[in-house]
Amino acid sequence: MRVGTDITEVGRIRELMNRHPEFRARVFTAQEIDYCESKRRPFEHYAARFSVKESVMKALGRGWLQGLEWTDIEVARRASGEPSIAAGGSLQAAMQQLGISRFVVSLSHCSTHATAVVIAL
Amino acid sequence: MEEKEIFEKVKDAIVDALGVDDDEVKAESSLFDDLGAESLDLLDIVFRLEKTFGIKIPRGAIQLDILAAEGVKESDVLVDGAVTELGAKLLREHMSEVKPEKIKAGFRLDDIPTLFTVQTFVKMVKAQLAAK
Repeated sequence: MRVGTDITEVGRIRELMNRHPEFRARVFTAQEIDYCESKRRPFEHYAARFSVKESVMKALGRGWLQGLEWTDIEVARRASGEPSIAAGGSLQAAMQQLGISRFVVSLSHCSTHATAVVIAL
Repeated sequence: MEEKEIFEKVKDAIVDALGVDDDEVKAESSLFDDLGAESLDLLDIVFRLEKTFGIKIPRGAIQLDILAAEGVKESDVLVDGAVTELGAKLLREHMSEVKPEKIKAGFRLDDIPTLFTVQTFVKMVKAQLAAK
Protein backbone atom coordinates (compact mmCIF):
# COMPACT_ATOMS: atom_id res chain seq x y z
CA MET A 1 0.00 0.00 0.00
CA ARG A 2 1.24 3.48 -0.82
CA VAL A 3 -0.08 6.88 0.17
CA GLY A 4 0.19 10.33 -1.40
CA THR A 5 -1.23 13.68 -0.33
CA ASP A 6 -1.14 17.22 -1.65
CA ILE A 7 -2.49 20.71 -1.06
CA THR A 8 -2.94 23.29 -3.84
CA GLU A 9 -3.70 27.00 -3.70
CA VAL A 10 -6.78 27.75 -5.82
CA GLY A 11 -5.39 31.22 -6.67
CA ARG A 12 -2.16 29.74 -8.05
CA ILE A 13 -4.09 27.39 -10.34
CA ARG A 14 -6.25 30.28 -11.56
CA GLU A 15 -3.16 32.43 -12.17
CA LEU A 16 -1.32 29.66 -14.04
CA MET A 17 -4.33 28.78 -16.17
CA ASN A 18 -4.82 32.44 -17.09
CA ARG A 19 -1.13 32.95 -17.83
CA HIS A 20 -0.62 29.73 -19.81
CA PRO A 21 -3.72 28.84 -21.85
CA GLU A 22 -2.07 25.51 -22.75
CA PHE A 23 -2.00 24.50 -19.07
CA ARG A 24 -5.65 23.37 -19.17
CA ALA A 25 -5.25 20.82 -21.97
CA ARG A 26 -1.77 19.69 -20.92
CA VAL A 27 -2.87 18.88 -17.36
CA PHE A 28 -6.60 18.08 -17.52
CA THR A 29 -8.61 15.71 -19.72
CA ALA A 30 -11.63 16.85 -21.75
CA GLN A 31 -13.92 15.14 -19.20
CA GLU A 32 -12.24 16.92 -16.30
CA ILE A 33 -12.46 20.27 -18.11
CA ASP A 34 -16.17 19.72 -18.86
CA TYR A 35 -16.82 18.83 -15.23
CA CYS A 36 -14.92 21.80 -13.78
CA GLU A 37 -16.36 24.28 -16.27
CA SER A 38 -19.88 23.16 -15.36
CA LYS A 39 -19.30 24.34 -11.77
CA ARG A 40 -19.90 27.79 -10.37
CA ARG A 41 -16.32 28.00 -9.04
CA PRO A 42 -14.38 25.98 -11.61
CA PHE A 43 -10.90 26.80 -10.28
CA GLU A 44 -11.65 25.10 -6.95
CA HIS A 45 -12.47 21.95 -8.88
CA TYR A 46 -9.41 22.25 -11.10
CA ALA A 47 -7.25 22.72 -7.99
CA ALA A 48 -8.80 19.64 -6.34
CA ARG A 49 -8.10 17.57 -9.45
CA PHE A 50 -4.56 18.91 -9.60
CA SER A 51 -4.08 17.84 -5.97
CA VAL A 52 -5.33 14.35 -6.78
CA LYS A 53 -2.90 14.07 -9.69
CA GLU A 54 0.01 15.22 -7.50
CA SER A 55 -1.09 12.77 -4.80
CA VAL A 56 -1.11 9.87 -7.26
CA MET A 57 2.40 10.84 -8.37
CA LYS A 58 3.56 11.00 -4.77
CA ALA A 59 1.98 7.65 -3.97
CA LEU A 60 3.75 6.06 -6.92
CA GLY A 61 7.02 7.84 -6.29
CA ARG A 62 7.29 9.29 -9.76
CA GLY A 63 6.12 12.50 -11.33
CA TRP A 64 5.59 14.39 -14.55
CA LEU A 65 9.32 14.82 -15.04
CA GLN A 66 9.80 11.07 -14.73
CA GLY A 67 7.37 9.98 -17.37
CA LEU A 68 3.83 10.26 -16.00
CA GLU A 69 1.46 12.29 -18.15
CA TRP A 70 -0.89 14.56 -16.22
CA THR A 71 -3.76 13.61 -18.52
CA ASP A 72 -3.15 9.89 -17.90
CA ILE A 73 -4.33 10.50 -14.33
CA GLU A 74 -7.98 11.36 -14.82
CA VAL A 75 -10.18 12.14 -11.85
CA ALA A 76 -13.50 10.46 -12.59
CA ARG A 77 -16.57 9.94 -10.43
CA ARG A 78 -18.44 6.78 -9.57
CA ALA A 79 -22.25 6.76 -9.73
CA SER A 80 -22.20 7.32 -5.95
CA GLY A 81 -20.29 10.57 -6.48
CA GLU A 82 -17.11 9.11 -4.96
CA PRO A 83 -14.01 10.25 -6.87
CA SER A 84 -11.94 7.62 -8.64
CA ILE A 85 -8.97 7.44 -10.99
CA ALA A 86 -9.25 6.54 -14.67
CA ALA A 87 -5.74 5.46 -15.67
CA GLY A 88 -4.29 6.28 -19.07
CA GLY A 89 -1.24 4.72 -20.73
CA SER A 90 1.68 6.04 -18.66
CA LEU A 91 -0.19 5.55 -15.38
CA GLN A 92 -1.25 2.02 -16.32
CA ALA A 93 2.39 1.20 -17.09
CA ALA A 94 3.56 2.57 -13.73
CA MET A 95 0.77 0.69 -11.87
CA GLN A 96 1.73 -2.56 -13.56
CA GLN A 97 5.38 -2.04 -12.74
CA LEU A 98 4.65 -1.30 -9.09
CA GLY A 99 1.94 -3.94 -8.62
CA ILE A 100 -0.81 -1.39 -8.00
CA SER A 101 -4.33 -2.47 -8.95
CA ARG A 102 -6.45 0.47 -7.81
CA PHE A 103 -6.60 3.80 -5.99
CA VAL A 104 -8.79 5.11 -3.20
CA VAL A 105 -9.24 8.87 -3.50
CA SER A 106 -10.48 11.56 -1.15
CA LEU A 107 -10.51 15.24 -2.04
CA SER A 108 -11.75 18.44 -0.51
CA HIS A 109 -11.72 22.13 -1.39
CA CYS A 110 -12.76 25.58 -0.26
CA SER A 111 -12.36 29.00 -1.88
CA THR A 112 -8.62 29.18 -1.15
CA HIS A 113 -7.22 25.64 -1.07
CA ALA A 114 -7.83 22.14 -2.37
CA THR A 115 -6.41 18.99 -0.87
CA ALA A 116 -6.37 15.29 -1.68
CA VAL A 117 -5.30 11.97 -0.24
CA VAL A 118 -4.71 8.99 -2.48
CA ILE A 119 -4.10 5.41 -1.36
CA ALA A 120 -2.63 3.08 -3.94
CA LEU A 121 -3.51 -0.60 -3.37
CA MET B 1 22.21 30.00 -29.30
CA GLU B 2 25.09 30.61 -26.90
CA GLU B 3 24.81 29.18 -23.38
CA LYS B 4 25.11 32.68 -21.90
CA GLU B 5 22.08 33.83 -23.88
CA ILE B 6 20.14 30.72 -22.84
CA PHE B 7 21.08 31.39 -19.21
CA GLU B 8 19.84 35.00 -19.39
CA LYS B 9 16.49 33.91 -20.83
CA VAL B 10 16.13 31.08 -18.30
CA LYS B 11 16.97 33.56 -15.56
CA ASP B 12 14.28 35.98 -16.82
CA ALA B 13 11.70 33.17 -16.81
CA ILE B 14 12.61 32.20 -13.24
CA VAL B 15 12.61 35.82 -12.00
CA ASP B 16 9.15 36.34 -13.49
CA ALA B 17 7.74 32.99 -12.30
CA LEU B 18 9.04 33.17 -8.74
CA GLY B 19 9.02 36.92 -8.21
CA VAL B 20 12.62 36.82 -6.97
CA ASP B 21 15.27 39.48 -7.52
CA ASP B 22 17.46 39.28 -10.59
CA ASP B 23 20.67 39.05 -8.56
CA GLU B 24 19.36 36.11 -6.51
CA VAL B 25 19.28 33.87 -9.58
CA LYS B 26 22.67 32.29 -10.21
CA ALA B 27 23.49 29.19 -12.26
CA GLU B 28 24.06 27.18 -9.08
CA SER B 29 20.94 28.44 -7.22
CA SER B 30 18.67 25.61 -6.10
CA LEU B 31 15.09 26.24 -7.22
CA PHE B 32 13.55 24.83 -4.04
CA ASP B 33 16.14 25.57 -1.34
CA ASP B 34 17.50 28.93 -2.51
CA LEU B 35 14.67 30.42 -4.55
CA GLY B 36 11.68 28.98 -2.67
CA ALA B 37 9.99 27.27 -5.62
CA GLU B 38 7.12 24.79 -5.20
CA SER B 39 6.08 22.07 -7.63
CA LEU B 40 3.51 24.31 -9.38
CA ASP B 41 6.28 26.86 -9.96
CA LEU B 42 8.25 24.26 -11.92
CA LEU B 43 5.30 23.83 -14.26
CA ASP B 44 5.09 27.60 -14.62
CA ILE B 45 8.81 27.79 -15.46
CA VAL B 46 8.58 24.90 -17.94
CA PHE B 47 5.66 26.56 -19.75
CA ARG B 48 7.55 29.86 -19.88
CA LEU B 49 10.69 28.19 -21.25
CA GLU B 50 8.71 26.28 -23.87
CA LYS B 51 7.20 29.55 -25.04
CA THR B 52 10.43 31.56 -24.91
CA PHE B 53 12.52 29.02 -26.79
CA GLY B 54 9.82 27.40 -28.96
CA ILE B 55 10.62 23.95 -27.56
CA LYS B 56 8.75 21.21 -25.73
CA ILE B 57 10.39 19.75 -22.65
CA PRO B 58 9.47 16.07 -22.88
CA ARG B 59 7.87 14.06 -20.10
CA GLY B 60 10.33 11.72 -18.53
CA ALA B 61 13.25 13.93 -19.56
CA ILE B 62 15.40 13.13 -16.55
CA GLN B 63 14.58 9.45 -16.24
CA LEU B 64 15.15 8.86 -19.93
CA ASP B 65 18.49 10.61 -19.73
CA ILE B 66 19.82 8.51 -16.87
CA LEU B 67 18.61 5.39 -18.62
CA ALA B 68 20.28 6.40 -21.85
CA ALA B 69 23.58 4.85 -20.82
CA GLU B 70 24.14 1.81 -22.95
CA GLY B 71 22.88 -1.50 -21.60
CA VAL B 72 21.18 -0.01 -18.54
CA LYS B 73 17.75 -1.37 -17.67
CA GLU B 74 15.32 0.48 -15.43
CA SER B 75 15.62 -2.24 -12.76
CA ASP B 76 19.41 -1.61 -12.64
CA VAL B 77 18.95 2.02 -11.65
CA LEU B 78 15.61 2.10 -9.85
CA VAL B 79 14.11 -0.09 -7.15
CA ASP B 80 10.74 0.80 -5.66
CA GLY B 81 10.99 4.44 -6.76
CA ALA B 82 14.49 4.96 -5.33
CA VAL B 83 17.81 5.01 -7.18
CA THR B 84 20.32 2.20 -6.75
CA GLU B 85 24.10 2.77 -6.36
CA LEU B 86 24.36 2.64 -10.17
CA GLY B 87 21.35 4.93 -10.53
CA ALA B 88 22.89 7.44 -8.11
CA LYS B 89 26.17 7.34 -10.02
CA LEU B 90 24.43 7.94 -13.36
CA LEU B 91 22.26 10.66 -11.86
CA ARG B 92 25.31 12.42 -10.39
CA GLU B 93 26.96 12.27 -13.80
CA HIS B 94 23.84 13.48 -15.56
CA MET B 95 23.14 16.25 -13.04
CA SER B 96 26.75 17.39 -12.67
CA GLU B 97 25.45 20.84 -11.74
CA VAL B 98 24.14 19.41 -8.44
CA LYS B 99 26.39 18.91 -5.42
CA PRO B 100 27.25 15.18 -5.63
CA GLU B 101 26.65 14.60 -1.91
CA LYS B 102 22.96 15.36 -2.47
CA ILE B 103 22.54 12.25 -4.65
CA LYS B 104 22.98 8.94 -2.88
CA ALA B 105 21.55 5.46 -3.33
CA GLY B 106 18.01 5.49 -1.95
CA PHE B 107 17.27 8.97 -3.30
CA ARG B 108 13.70 8.97 -4.51
CA LEU B 109 13.00 9.54 -8.18
CA ASP B 110 10.08 11.87 -7.46
CA ASP B 111 12.39 14.05 -5.35
CA ILE B 112 14.59 14.83 -8.38
CA PRO B 113 12.89 18.22 -8.91
CA THR B 114 14.16 19.26 -5.45
CA LEU B 115 17.69 18.95 -6.89
CA PHE B 116 17.02 21.34 -9.75
CA THR B 117 19.26 24.35 -10.08
CA VAL B 118 19.00 27.16 -12.61
CA GLN B 119 21.69 25.36 -14.61
CA THR B 120 19.47 22.23 -14.80
CA PHE B 121 16.97 24.23 -16.84
CA VAL B 122 19.75 25.73 -18.96
CA LYS B 123 20.90 22.19 -19.78
CA MET B 124 17.33 21.01 -20.53
CA VAL B 125 16.77 23.94 -22.90
CA LYS B 126 20.15 23.46 -24.56
CA ALA B 127 19.40 19.76 -25.17
CA GLN B 128 15.98 20.53 -26.67
CA LEU B 129 17.39 23.30 -28.89
CA ALA B 130 20.09 20.92 -30.12
CA ALA B 131 17.44 18.28 -30.88
CA LYS B 132 15.32 20.70 -32.92
